[in-house]
Amino acid sequence: MANRLQTLRRLTAIGQRLTESRKVRLKHSGASYKLISGARLIDGRESRPIESGAVLVEGSQIIAVGPADEVAPPEGVPVEVLDFAGKSIMPGMIDCHTHHNGFGDGRLGDTLKAIPDEVLTLQSARNARAALFSGVTTIRENGPKNDTMFRLRDGFREGIGIGPRMVLCGRAVTIVGGHLSYFGPAITGPVEARAMVRRLIKEGADYIKIMATGGSTLTSNRLRPSFEVEELRAIADEAHKFGKLTAAHCLSTQGIVNCLDANVDMIIHCVFQEPDGSNRFREDVAERIAKQGASVNPTLHVFRARVWAQQFKKAQQGLTSEEQAALDDDLRYFDVRLDHCKRMIDLGVKLVTGSDSSWGDYQLGNTPYETECLVMAGYSNAQGVRSVTGDAAASLGVDGETGTLEPGKAADILVVDGDPHRDITRLWNVNEVFLGGRRIDRGSQDSRAATRQHPPP
Amino acid sequence: MSNSTTDFTLIKAARLVDGTGGPPTERVAVLIEGDRIRSVGTEETVLPPEGANVQEFEYNDQTVLPGLIDSHVHLIGFGDDRMGDELATIPDEVLALQAARNARTHLYSGVTTVRDCGAKNRTTFMLRQAMQLGITPGPRLVLSGRPMAIVGGHLSYFGVQATGEVECRAAVRQLVKEGADFIKITATGGSTRTSMILRPSFTVDELTAIIDEAHKFGKHAAAHCASTQGILNALDAGVDTVIHGYHRDPDGGFQYQPKVAERMAERGVFLNPTLNAGRRRIRVLEDKLESEGLTEAEQAELNETRQAHDVRFDHVSRMIAAGVKLTCGSDSAWGVYEMGDFQGEVDAHVEAGLSPMEAIVSATGDSARSCWIDGDVGTIAEGKQADLLVVDGDPTQDIGALNNVVDVFQTGTRVDRGNYV
Repeated sequence: MANRLQTLRRLTAIGQRLTESRKVRLKHSGASYKLISGARLIDGRESRPIESGAVLVEGSQIIAVGPADEVAPPEGVPVEVLDFAGKSIMPGMIDCHTHHNGFGDGRLGDTLKAIPDEVLTLQSARNARAALFSGVTTIRENGPKNDTMFRLRDGFREGIGIGPRMVLCGRAVTIVGGHLSYFGPAITGPVEARAMVRRLIKEGADYIKIMATGGSTLTSNRLRPSFEVEELRAIADEAHKFGKLTAAHCLSTQGIVNCLDANVDMIIHCVFQEPDGSNRFREDVAERIAKQGASVNPTLHVFRARVWAQQFKKAQQGLTSEEQAALDDDLRYFDVRLDHCKRMIDLGVKLVTGSDSSWGDYQLGNTPYETECLVMAGYSNAQGVRSVTGDAAASLGVDGETGTLEPGKAADILVVDGDPHRDITRLWNVNEVFLGGRRIDRGSQDSRAATRQHPPP
Repeated sequence: MSNSTTDFTLIKAARLVDGTGGPPTERVAVLIEGDRIRSVGTEETVLPPEGANVQEFEYNDQTVLPGLIDSHVHLIGFGDDRMGDELATIPDEVLALQAARNARTHLYSGVTTVRDCGAKNRTTFMLRQAMQLGITPGPRLVLSGRPMAIVGGHLSYFGVQATGEVECRAAVRQLVKEGADFIKITATGGSTRTSMILRPSFTVDELTAIIDEAHKFGKHAAAHCASTQGILNALDAGVDTVIHGYHRDPDGGFQYQPKVAERMAERGVFLNPTLNAGRRRIRVLEDKLESEGLTEAEQAELNETRQAHDVRFDHVSRMIAAGVKLTCGSDSAWGVYEMGDFQGEVDAHVEAGLSPMEAIVSATGDSARSCWIDGDVGTIAEGKQADLLVVDGDPTQDIGALNNVVDVFQTGTRVDRGNYV
């Protein structure tokens, strides 16, 4: 993993140098400059915030970052000066785990599969807009039906609609009857595994998503692993051969172990559960995750969103005794998951923000709830910010392009009221979104407010 | 969609144009209950029931009129000069995205109903499904799905190519099953490369089978007719709307045929003349002439289009004089006519000889009648759906005032025209 990321980074660095040499030629070509300044600049790396910082943008790229008095545009060129006094400037958020086909109204995949692809593509477009308007400038989609996300990307390329940068898998790789196996063909054996990876890459996949255990899919079993290690190895090896990263859905411990054996780059959910359903944190497994440098996307809020939905129901119409018992179980279980995440943090595992919305009861446009959960689990506010910016970009292999405010990166920038380093909930207070240097028209306040989910009373 | 708890909406305005052609009334009030108009009158006569929860909108200097009804759109089009032959190569999911964008644009520009006159495969039906699920906003949809075309005929690449009365009836049944509200027929060739614009396509027997089958299910039929024989055949077969309606002979010459107008007027067949598309084309070519100059072929096209424009406006004004009813339909986003400017077609109706009031009726009340939805929309009257447009100024004096959109109401709810989610 470390070696692969280094290679990817080296390639990106070469790309950056090429871009920089191009920039010299562009310098006086009339490209547009923007100087964005504010009270505080958070760059998405481990550095301390710069009080009174500024970012200089040329076209779609950042060309300088620093204290306002040190960042000066080249002389003799027109510069648009955007001063956000009193506000924070930070990188656009990166959501490592989205489901654009979904509605976030309790519906799961077994229901979504019946909706025609054209309609799911339209829903995906709406989710993309909701995410971008909320301040998410990059998403990694984690498993849509058929070609819907590739078609959405075609639509964006046609200039139809707008959304965040997209890191796509196309479809998740899954076993016969496995999780989301109704979203596309399932595979068996290492040969079919390699063929599927090649096919997805041919169709435009940026990474490979693997369903390493069952999930909410009715015909699957979340407490059991799905693929053989040999199959996982074939998938991961084939993906890595083409410079693509892998990420695996793991709802039980044996799935995690199998994925570590196969050198998978990101463990999603990372639920420590035994085949009998009991919760048992495995320090040895967590240590292996840390040692191998795999990142973990624990998806805490998607579970809490279900709890909230039940609490709403309780407030509005009351619960049966079975429902109340299930809610109590869920509340206890949420604490178990927070505790497991805390122990992973203590063992040096890198957690990233991936909302898993719009899945279950969690809607896109509400990514900060997941980051809040990581802070609840033990991350500092600053770590929380990195989990949704710089660290998220690194875990997706797009850190050469976005995720931090640095020269050479895309100008994916947020202006935020308040200081997310002091209070992570400030991620909700997005005033402006720049995507590749372009200030996004986010429409009316009312329409944006309508996409926000709220906790129960 | 707003989830308002308001039961009543009261709209007060300086002026009301009700879409029937009657004189405008002043200092008006429209009371809406839920999604329907409950009463129309003056501020003094229109009163909500005692104790009702009422949301009020006051437009002291504005005109309220029915939401506009564009009886000819192509939601999957781009209006960037791509023809159908090129659209047909784009995947259906992408066309559905474009249709959603166009639907939103048209709604926000003041159009509350569109009749879509031909889309690829099931793309517009899918848009309707998405709108029903609350995924994306748009006007009320009157859909044909795929147009009925002959083998190689105009728009045949969108999914239907029927031959003979039996196949024609089967294709109509299939469309109705999928959700078609009317049947669009390409009765002559058109811009489709393999089709012949100057020749009729279906036989009269085939047309009769299509239209009879449509009428049997309570659906109307509208036929694209880019030359005279096509119009005559469609009229023989009992068509309800003639689209384009070019008086043109097989040799390409424009020759006005009084009998066409007489027959249409007598039977009450609507004409959708699609005049603004030509004006758009002329403007695009003139802009290019000014900015970078034209190639020889483009110059020839400009001359031809200008000539055709004059002839067509003359023919349409003669048809109006002969008593033919117009229905206003933009034909956007086809050719170089982007969606969001239905007002341009209404303005072309004024240029062709209608008074501003008559042009408004062609874009509201009569447009609704041509789409067989006048029981629901098109006029501001008790019991109708509350689809309303509020504009600055008086469009009966200056048709350009239709562009000054202040608010759009759809089924009683004010549309948030700043909603891009």
